[in-house]
Amino acid sequence: MAVSGFEGFEKRLELHFFGHHNDPTVTMGLRLIDFDSLNQVLRVVQCAVVSAVGNHFFDAYVLSESSLFVYPTKIIIKTCGTTQLLKSIRPLIHLASDLGLTLCGCRYTRGSFIFPESQPFPYVNFKQEVICIEENLPDTLCFRKASVMPSKLPSYSWHAFSAGDGEHFPADDTFTVEVCMTELDRVMARTFFKTSHDSAAAKGMAELAGIDGINPRAIVCDFEFDPCGYSMNGVDGDRYSTIHVTPEDGFSYASFECVGSVYDDQDGIVETLKKAVQVFKPATVSVSTTSLHREAWTTVVRAMELLGLKCRSFVMDEFPAAGTVVFQTFTAARRK
Amino acid sequence: MAEEGQVIACHTVDSWKEQLESANTSKKLVVVDFTASWCGPCRFIAPILTELAKKLPNVLFLKVDVDELKSVAEDWAIEAMPTFIFLKEGSIIDKVVGARKDELQQKIALHSAA
Repeated sequence: MAVSGFEGFEKRLELHFFGHHNDPTVTMGLRLIDFDSLNQVLRVVQCAVVSAVGNHFFDAYVLSESSLFVYPTKIIIKTCGTTQLLKSIRPLIHLASDLGLTLCGCRYTRGSFIFPESQPFPYVNFKQEVICIEENLPDTLCFRKASVMPSKLPSYSWHAFSAGDGEHFPADDTFTVEVCMTELDRVMARTFFKTSHDSAAAKGMAELAGIDGINPRAIVCDFEFDPCGYSMNGVDGDRYSTIHVTPEDGFSYASFECVGSVYDDQDGIVETLKKAVQVFKPATVSVSTTSLHREAWTTVVRAMELLGLKCRSFVMDEFPAAGTVVFQTFTAARRK
Repeated sequence: MAEEGQVIACHTVDSWKEQLESANTSKKLVVVDFTASWCGPCRFIAPILTELAKKLPNVLFLKVDVDELKSVAEDWAIEAMPTFIFLKEGSIIDKVVGARKDELQQKIALHSAA
């Protein structure tokens, strides 16, 4: 285990807004925040845009340290390394307010850092992060909860904070799955090191690793880092998916996040999750599923079991404005 | 007369057709940026595209706003923005979907040399 290296585990922030007079027809909303202002916020967080694509539903940005998704009434930022993600809350609330949008929900989640000592304040412990978030939230978000959800492995916990105003709730048929993978297959991880074949005709990391096969319908917007590392956003209608890879041995990590609906054919989602984890062949997988439906996590278990992974821990909890959060860890069936 | 070294915006279907025709005859590589005024990712790549246009006056850079020229965007099945379509002598030879700076530069180099 390396003494110190790049931190793959991301911090994730999700902010929900509503229009004045509760206008259900907010068409562009947050997408109207001009790019320079958005860039300024990212600079404060200590990251930058490296690639981007937008469609009729949302804008997806690949960042130097993960991803940013901008919907009309929702922003999701996921950043790794030693970024200052929580510094984005105040300026984003301000920019939204200029557009007539008011904050109604805030969620902050992360796994356990591989190198917790390398994190700057307030990311030194979850309590400090929660204090920092709360300092920036308006009183209207009065329903709040923070919790550390454990697993049987001391270095794998899920930290979750959620706050809502008790009046506005997210779409009730969707669920978000956040998959964190560690100890990636070493041979496969080498795909994510940049080689000297840098021509337009050379196969990219996505194709070599089989990432473009995970959801063939999605438009893939990705970036290959030098000397190693890979990030991608998938855009499929109004749904995003995102993958980030830190391939270095000793602290290898890959994350996969996607959105599903309880009205979808669950077999399709099981296939997607299975394909994503199969790319990386990790030793340990920890998954957090968030939904207003309590059974969404069963889809995750099905996918993992198909890969010969066994569920080692299971914790379920309820959070305001987010619903049910289930945190599970999986390792190969033959291992302890 | 096409201005050298700039990204030319086509605001009407007629000017669009005009530009394509003149490019066909000159056998120039044409790079069309399908963009939208409200599209953040488009604004991210805009300055990069302007720089490329300045450096490569032998390539024709056109800009089409998908709301302004809805019919053209529909004809070309534009689903995401920005989408860059590469044309030579009237045929589509390549496409880049998304504000992908490296891929854009590589493909321009590849096709303008051919």
